[in-house]
Amino acid sequence: MAKAGLRAVVFAAVGALALAACGSGSGTSPSSSAGGGATTATSGPQKGGTLYILTNEKQFLHLDPQRNYTGTDLAFANGFLNRTLTAYKFAPGDGGAQLVPDLATDTGTATDGGKTWSFTLRDGVTFQDGSPITCADVKYGISRTFATTVITDGPTYAIQDLAIPTDAKGNSVYLGPYDTSSKNDVAAFDKAVTCSADNKTITMHLNQPVGDWNYAMTLLEFSPVPKAKDTGEKYDDNPVSSGPYQIENYTKGTSLTLVRNPKWSQASDPYRHAYPDKVVVQFGLDPSAIDQRLMADSGPDQTAVTLGGLQPENLATVFNDPKYKDRRFNGYDPYVRYLAINTAKVPNLKQRLAMMAAMDRAAYRTIYGGNFAGDLADGVIKPNLAIDYKPTNLWTGLLGQNIPDNGDPTFAKQLIAQSGAKMPTITYDYPNTPTQSKVASAVVASLGKAGITVKPNPIEPGQYYGVILDPKKADELMYAGWGPDWLNASTVIPPLFQPNGGFDVSQYNNAAFNAQINKAKATLDRTAQGAEWAALNVEAMKDGLVIPTLFGKIQYLVGSKIGGGYIWAPYGCMPFGDLWIKS
Amino acid sequence: MTVSAQVTPGSVPPAAFEEQEAIAGRSLGQLAWMRLRRDKGAMTAMITLIVIIALAVFAPLITRMLHIDPLSFDDKAVSQDGGLPIGPFGGMSLAHPLGVEPGTGRDNLARLLYGARVSLFISFSATIITCTIGVLVGIVAGYRRGWVDGALGRFMDIVLAFPLLLVALSMAPVLTQRLQSMGLSGNGGRVLYLILVISIFGWPYLARIVRGQVLSIREREFVESAVSMGAGTSRILFREILPNLWAPILVYATIVMPSYIALEASLSFLGVGVLPPTPTWGAMLADSVRYFVVDPAFLFFPGALLFIVVFAFNSLGDAVRDALDPRTGRV
Repeated sequence: MAKAGLRAVVFAAVGALALAACGSGSGTSPSSSAGGGATTATSGPQKGGTLYILTNEKQFLHLDPQRNYTGTDLAFANGFLNRTLTAYKFAPGDGGAQLVPDLATDTGTATDGGKTWSFTLRDGVTFQDGSPITCADVKYGISRTFATTVITDGPTYAIQDLAIPTDAKGNSVYLGPYDTSSKNDVAAFDKAVTCSADNKTITMHLNQPVGDWNYAMTLLEFSPVPKAKDTGEKYDDNPVSSGPYQIENYTKGTSLTLVRNPKWSQASDPYRHAYPDKVVVQFGLDPSAIDQRLMADSGPDQTAVTLGGLQPENLATVFNDPKYKDRRFNGYDPYVRYLAINTAKVPNLKQRLAMMAAMDRAAYRTIYGGNFAGDLADGVIKPNLAIDYKPTNLWTGLLGQNIPDNGDPTFAKQLIAQSGAKMPTITYDYPNTPTQSKVASAVVASLGKAGITVKPNPIEPGQYYGVILDPKKADELMYAGWGPDWLNASTVIPPLFQPNGGFDVSQYNNAAFNAQINKAKATLDRTAQGAEWAALNVEAMKDGLVIPTLFGKIQYLVGSKIGGGYIWAPYGCMPFGDLWIKS
Repeated sequence: MTVSAQVTPGSVPPAAFEEQEAIAGRSLGQLAWMRLRRDKGAMTAMITLIVIIALAVFAPLITRMLHIDPLSFDDKAVSQDGGLPIGPFGGMSLAHPLGVEPGTGRDNLARLLYGARVSLFISFSATIITCTIGVLVGIVAGYRRGWVDGALGRFMDIVLAFPLLLVALSMAPVLTQRLQSMGLSGNGGRVLYLILVISIFGWPYLARIVRGQVLSIREREFVESAVSMGAGTSRILFREILPNLWAPILVYATIVMPSYIALEASLSFLGVGVLPPTPTWGAMLADSVRYFVVDPAFLFFPGALLFIVVFAFNSLGDAVRDALDPRTGRV
């Protein structure tokens, strides 16, 4: 789930829409056609060639579908290896938010006011060994999420929302497919998820109505896994493909090679085009070297893309030089970046607000590349969630007075004086990367102006989210970033600000706030629900839970022979699964 | 005739006497200093180093006079389209004489001056510790020989066999934590850690050199006569043998000091160095390599300064060796 990205370490969940007002993609992205999720380009996509994907990461954090929860990794795996019931359309701009059927024949049928959802599988869908994908396989895949000791790091929507009773401690009575003890209530799961007699239709019963549950189906959490091939924890290394490619070779730290899956048929998969013959992911490259290779654009690098975006230092070069104009892309990603304030360590509200007031957000934005970094944020809900977003006025009076982008140390000092307590020393946790070190300097300098002592605490990027998600290890202030799992702030506010929400880095536990969350979750009228989320967003800012910094943007440079590139809004990256190689 | 107390006659090479026959009564140190002073290159190197050290020592004063600060951000000095410095040569201007850091607009000159303090402090301290341990172990091993020499020799081999960077990287979290729990939090702990790591892995090299020298010196007549006159071991080691070792020790120190600056740089580069926002040359270099294409000036200044210091130390080291031991002529 944690994503150690090139430009930023972003806690990644799957994204939603591009900002309606802003669109996305500054490059020459092909225009999207109207139907079937297909993309047509002016010069015409074609099959063949090898697509190279370059990354500085040592491996994919997880290729086990139920454990994959990183934006770019999801876009990669969903495009090549794992089919899901529904998927986001391959289209630039707002089109990327459109839900299209993938394994299912349509985007699902809701009954019982949204408490029951059914999906029917297409004919002829198979795994890489040729065995047909049935309802039982999808159901088995979902069941794996419940084995929380084995299947770690993945999303937990199945646990939260399926109609399975919980025990006194609030844990599900179903413990997943690996637990054979009598405590494991398999019947409860079998009741919540049922298959039709022909093993083609899966029906899920939820504990409360969820109007957009079919969006959750885009997560690999709900993708099929053949029970016979499941190796538990080791499934991560050799997952069975249901997509158009299969793993030929996976050497962590070096490369992952995908070749065509001979059992995949285009007829059963109108969503994917499977243009390249081969896909090679090269791991462990130096981020600067990746950019230099793409800028040089020689040999095989002409058909290369990066997994993450461009480094800040190369943005000016790439976007000022016209020779890159056909292969550079700039657009909004799904993420909001912020500094999380640990309410357990800083229980005093005025002190939390003082930190918000003191932070130099303009410096933060400049470090990330200024205008390329995105817009200064005013909350944790990004304007791409159009129904849920409302300006919070956080910096224009919500805390009592205007706070300039560079921070207001005088106001911060007043707040500390009002707090009636001595300001504690703040330890700032951040992933140890060059850009993040500069951010740490900005935190130290700007909070220092308000008389707050900040100690920077760099953490090895690969372990970063593991540390800050551990309440015993988390410090007062932490770098974080979050993208919604789908176009509803129900995938933002609850995970961030509810105990066991999944990303409750602020360690906030407020009974009244939790009650409002549950009320909003149960509100079926989407407009009314949006207003409730917007109100909770304001509430969270007033309660000093995070210092919102950026509504992020992302920039990509691709090789000159890559066709079909654009910033794919749902995941804030290239549409890896729909790229093609120009001859 | 003033006889230098610490220099035993046997240690003065006959060649040196012949050369300086007309002027009698100078100690070995005086002779060496005279030779050094005649070496223009060495004097240039020495003055350069003194200037740089003075700049580092008076960094707070200088930055205040120039109205620059190593920690203040200046978002007017960098472009909002990509964060590169505005202006030629990495944003050089009256306000920022050596330009600014991309992304933050922090002043390069101020950061270089303050960075020198940390970098030089670490390398000086590590050099002193390394030399002290190295000399002590080397002298004992060489003089005692036998099982003591064997044991110390194997121990040196073991220390030398450790891959320094790997060990430094893996020990960093544990050791800094330990130092923290001992009350040395933040940069104090980090700096101490760097000094310790460099020293722990640095001393065996000198110890081996010293041991080799001692092995031959201990067979010389003046040592034997000291032994026969009943001198104690510590007197023999530190009053008889040690004065003859100053040449290799000084040479080693001047050669190793710049390599420690570079080592501090590479450890900072790998992320176990000093915490932000404190600048060090190493951290600045580590940061600037990413910008070498788009903002070469940002890489040039810390790189050039490191080069100058290393070069000056090396030339000085060579010259000191020549001055102390004129038999080994210049190549």
